[in-house]
Amino acid sequence: MTQSSERATNDYEHLDPLLAELAELPADDPRRTELRDRLVTEFLPVAQHIARRFGQRGEPHDDLVQVATVGLISAIDRFDPTRGSDFLSFAVPTIMGEVRRHFRDTSWSVRVPRRLKELHLAITSATNELSQHLGRAPTPSELAKHLGISKDEVYEGLEASNAYRSSSLDELLVGTDKSVSLGDALGDEDPELMSVENREALQPLLQQLPERERTIILLRFFGNLTQTQIADRIGISQMHVSRLLARTLVELRKGLLSE
Amino acid sequence: MAEVDVDGTEVTVSEHEPSTTTSEKPAPAADVEVRIAAAPAHLSVVRAVAADLAMRADFTLDAISDLKMAVDEACSELISRAVADADLVCRFTVEDEQIHFSAEAPTGSAVPPSRESFGWRVLTALTDAVSTWVVPGGDGSQVLRFDLVKKRADVVGL
Repeated sequence: MTQSSERATNDYEHLDPLLAELAELPADDPRRTELRDRLVTEFLPVAQHIARRFGQRGEPHDDLVQVATVGLISAIDRFDPTRGSDFLSFAVPTIMGEVRRHFRDTSWSVRVPRRLKELHLAITSATNELSQHLGRAPTPSELAKHLGISKDEVYEGLEASNAYRSSSLDELLVGTDKSVSLGDALGDEDPELMSVENREALQPLLQQLPERERTIILLRFFGNLTQTQIADRIGISQMHVSRLLARTLVELRKGLLSE
Repeated sequence: MAEVDVDGTEVTVSEHEPSTTTSEKPAPAADVEVRIAAAPAHLSVVRAVAADLAMRADFTLDAISDLKMAVDEACSELISRAVADADLVCRFTVEDEQIHFSAEAPTGSAVPPSRESFGWRVLTALTDAVSTWVVPGGDGSQVLRFDLVKKRADVVGL
């Protein structure tokens, strides 16, 4: 399943001069952005390949690709060709490190038995499937029926999800380059949303939020979309939307109180 | 004073208790009552109770999460307006198609939370009905109260 490093190196050899050029450009050179964008785009298959290798562990594929891309960008920024090693042997560990950190940060914050982890995964994927089918979020009894397990087991699995933490993923994406902006994954926003936002006193606070959090808040509270509809639109799970919303509300509340 | 929100949510805000009951009469019997010291540290207890009741009443996952956040929002507001060393009393009533939540805490201000606030926007978006008002308590004190209703499932696909 692994590509040989020789072949992988050859595939990207033509980019070596660009990498060298980027490393030599001064930090404020206007050509940097263009060059950097081109390199990120060209090396994107490497990030996607690594994301695929970490698939099937319960994290949404898109999230993994994003995390791997963040790793790729930081590898491109930090690569120093004068050190003699080729880019891929530097980039691959960097990207894998980023993905591993994602798993470490987003995995269970409380020790949860394996059976419950599997139950949680089963419930997450059943939730996605049923939401598509029903056009709304499923109920615990619908999940039980779909999975062929008892309602009590579903309750257990839902409670276990309280021990699952995914906040660090978002922290990783805060303040990163525009090229990985989650906004790219979004559909068109109702222009009315912005006017609502402008009327509200909390606009400065909303502006400080990462783009994805801001979009979720606007869609939920000003666009009246359900969590399931938002999850669908952004391409993350309903449980993830739920966690992001709850956490962002706490942040906003803190901000509003401190004014 | 009742009005209808953009999304059809019935929203009530009043500086007086809407019903004819006075605070002298006992509140309607609740299925579950939780009393906590009015401090943010205990919010998670109320949230957990809300989520568990909604889950066992077979609410949709969206509705469970909405109720949890609405309860959190209402209780946060009560706690931030509560007088020192106050208790926050929360009551849950599980009905056929909805859960009724009410919470109250003694407050120093006779003015209920503003309808223009972001917190109010959050509550109206998350619930099917919400109201808040201040009632006189004993000894000239005042009690701020939140009442909200969350239905089993969101009405989607208009």
